[in-house]
Amino acid sequence: MASSTVAENKRVTNLNVSSHINHSRKVLNIYRVSASGTDKTKVTFCTDVDKSVIVHNFEKRGWVQVGPEDDWNFYWAVTQSCRNIFSVETGYRMDDKQLINHFPNHYELTRKDLLVKNIKRYRKELEREGNPLAERGDGPGKYLYLDFIPVTFVLPADYNMFVEEYRKSPQSTWIMKPCGKSQGAGIFLINKLSKLKKWSREAKNPFNPNLTKESYVISRYIDNPLLIGGKKFDLRLYVLITSFRPLKAYLFKLGFCRFCTVKYDTSIQELDNMYVHLTNVSVQKHGEEYNSKHGGKLSVHNLRLYLESTRGKAVTEKLFANITWCIIHSLKAVAPVMANDRHCFECYGYDIIIDNDLKPWLIEVNASPSLTSTTVNDRILKYKLIDNIISIVVPPDGVPDVKWNKCPPPEALGNFELLLDEELAAQEEKEYSSGKYRSSSSKWK
Amino acid sequence: MAENIGESRKISLQKSAERLTEEIQSMANYKNLYTEIQKLVASTAVKREDFKNTLLEVLKNNGLETEIRNTVFHWVRSQGSLSAVSEASTEEVDLTYLKKAQIQWERRIQKSLNSTCNELNVPLARIRPNADREEVAEKWNELSTYDIDLSQYRPLYAPKDFLDVLFSIRNPSFKKQPNELNWEFGHIQIRVKTLTQLVLHRHLYVDLTKGMSLLGVNPDMPSSENFTNLEEERIYISEKVLKSNHAPIAQEFLKRGAPRALRGRLWSLVLGSTVKQNDLEYYEELKNMVLQYDIVIDKLIIKDVQLTARNDDQYFVFEDVLYKTMLCFSRDSEVLAPVTTDRSAGGQVIHAVLQGKPATLENTLVFPPSGVIPFHGFTMYATPFCYLYDDPCAMYYTFRAFYLRYWFRLHTVSSHEQGIVALCLLFERLLQCHEPLLWIHCRNIHIQPVKIVFKWIMRGFSGHLPPEQLLYLWDLILGYDSLEIIPLLAVTILSFRKENLMQVNNQQSVEAVLADLSSLKVVPLLQLALLRE
Repeated sequence: MASSTVAENKRVTNLNVSSHINHSRKVLNIYRVSASGTDKTKVTFCTDVDKSVIVHNFEKRGWVQVGPEDDWNFYWAVTQSCRNIFSVETGYRMDDKQLINHFPNHYELTRKDLLVKNIKRYRKELEREGNPLAERGDGPGKYLYLDFIPVTFVLPADYNMFVEEYRKSPQSTWIMKPCGKSQGAGIFLINKLSKLKKWSREAKNPFNPNLTKESYVISRYIDNPLLIGGKKFDLRLYVLITSFRPLKAYLFKLGFCRFCTVKYDTSIQELDNMYVHLTNVSVQKHGEEYNSKHGGKLSVHNLRLYLESTRGKAVTEKLFANITWCIIHSLKAVAPVMANDRHCFECYGYDIIIDNDLKPWLIEVNASPSLTSTTVNDRILKYKLIDNIISIVVPPDGVPDVKWNKCPPPEALGNFELLLDEELAAQEEKEYSSGKYRSSSSKWK
Repeated sequence: MAENIGESRKISLQKSAERLTEEIQSMANYKNLYTEIQKLVASTAVKREDFKNTLLEVLKNNGLETEIRNTVFHWVRSQGSLSAVSEASTEEVDLTYLKKAQIQWERRIQKSLNSTCNELNVPLARIRPNADREEVAEKWNELSTYDIDLSQYRPLYAPKDFLDVLFSIRNPSFKKQPNELNWEFGHIQIRVKTLTQLVLHRHLYVDLTKGMSLLGVNPDMPSSENFTNLEEERIYISEKVLKSNHAPIAQEFLKRGAPRALRGRLWSLVLGSTVKQNDLEYYEELKNMVLQYDIVIDKLIIKDVQLTARNDDQYFVFEDVLYKTMLCFSRDSEVLAPVTTDRSAGGQVIHAVLQGKPATLENTLVFPPSGVIPFHGFTMYATPFCYLYDDPCAMYYTFRAFYLRYWFRLHTVSSHEQGIVALCLLFERLLQCHEPLLWIHCRNIHIQPVKIVFKWIMRGFSGHLPPEQLLYLWDLILGYDSLEIIPLLAVTILSFRKENLMQVNNQQSVEAVLADLSSLKVVPLLQLALLRE
């Protein structure tokens, strides 16, 4: 009577089958269209990310793969190739029919130190303007509405400021992150100034000159994260930007939570146990407890169901509104300094931690969120992500064109929802205050 | 004549009342109620000269009247087996072969359990050794770190094995070729309803058929009254329902879907599983029983959580609370009576003597104390409740109440109208009637239709539908107090995917078409199916 556990795996293989069926059918359709239509508008793509989720999505549209030296319409590039294209030395000139997936200076948003710098500057500017958004909260350096990143300093530059802040609450824990690294590399927690001093002495070791060049950010550690099942998690949300000025931002609805595999524990003994503190999949997947069937990922949709059921609707709605708020203001903070090249769009991976009072904290933004799929659901999700991105950035006729007004029709959004389109918002406001509104209101008289 | 009927009704009412007054005394919250009433009687609000009226008045103002009404409601529900005011019929038919099959099935499970113990050389039950007890106590809240080697343990059976048992049932009065395989359950004479009966005669699923606005379709649907949308309206009403504290009203309310934020409380109210002081104490006792005794079922439970919830991307975060829940459940002797005295049970109970003790009465225990032996996927009956309750105790009691009302008949060979056999039969009839082409297609490609949907039905779709959709489905189970919605949904899904099903011709491809239910919206689907009628 012994049963097999094979049954549980079946779903996995089955999914493969059905998605393949689907896929080939769609390819056929596209060919039919292009065969009957104009042949000269064959779209070409180029990628240096050899991931099936990317290549399949292009091929599904009947696009043809070419090399970076050839005539491409759509380049899915790593940040380095993108930088090369925009560098003055290369002298590459893009034409109207070309799109690329990064902004030239995206690091204003995605480098940990620059993000902090930009947000601090943004707050000061708003304050100078007397904008009510920049209202101060209790205590120095606190803002009522714009306090969505943990207190952060850049080291070694802001060391003295950090020490001053540290002395105010010597019991607190801080987290050190190298500015230029990702996926949890080089991160550690400190709870004593002496530990930081020790680290800095070692880092300045003349035998290891590389270390001194690197700058770090040090942030107040969110030590009261919301726990589910006793475990810490963060949110990974995808945000697509098609323009910074005017700002056009979309949020992917299929975000997910990434759980630690080990119970959360703030005790000092566990301070160095990164399986307790870091939610990065790249860290967790080396843990003993890592489960490759779900990869520690729970959908945001299910998180919301759980929170609404156990904590209530109002607080849950407020949490999600605050998440949107912190995304939008992080983008507004960098918008003035971004090179708003019209050939560019970019999909950012937002990392957000929710604390026990259901307040979201922006931890960091990634320019090249991982497209590696750890599970079947992950692959489906990332496939949809890329598919939806393409339908938003490419005009309805399917050919990249920078002259297009970048207002995709609602059906092109897929699983994205519009967060903000400053252009549309301005138009609506104009209509509201001018004739249209008045004429419609006069109808009621 | 009419007088006669009136008279006999009066007698039966009196009889019920007598039974009620007797049995209410053994109900869990009787003691509480009694103490509360005594307090009231002693208070100045109750006047000696007008005892009855003043007492009734106070009971009403105090909310105790509602409590008593709810208690009676739960008593009535526990009496009348689910909507089984049966239209006679079943009595005429001899179904003892089902009972026999169940007895055999129970014996087989027990034998398999014993041979597991023999093979692994472990006792059925023993006193938990001190070191182990300390470890379990310490890790009670994170039993995922309780590290024991379970590689040798296998689930005793899986839904597939149970289906084979059902297929092998022979109706002795039904003649057929000796070697002919059972194609379907048509030979088992349990009366099941037709779709029209489901809708019209029993006034079931009326809200679904009349095109009433339901939650689970579109929360932004405009509301009939002064609310911004349907969801707002439903929240407003459910708050009123909860305030009234009347279980039958809450049940009625669920027919149109519960708002997320209040679902947990509504379910507890309908099932009478709101946690009271004595429940907290009892839960603590169950935990102590787990610590005190080590039974082989524990290993099977832990194994099952590992095989199911731990690997499930919807439920893995709740792994730890599920260990606690399922372990406590196995020790819960309040489960034993309703499960074993139901007419679907074979009544076979194992008695285990504690290892190393003389076989005296005090060293013997019913094994397991709940009388329920878990199978592969048993945990899935509990998983959805993790989304509703943060408190493990609240989750436990609602899960238990739900199990005792509905699920336990899904893993026994039961002749009950709400048992697995009847539900499979209902599924077949509905499919045959409403999707004849699909039925014939299955026949042509030699796939028993039940085989495709059995795992859905046996788990009440838990683990197959995304949690939110599942909760909407279970709202309907509670609201209509019937499991018939489950086979109905199964048929609806097949019907919805008919086109793709008609194109494939083997079991594997059929399963592939039906593997992913994540995009389905339960309520609109059911509405679609019922509106067609």
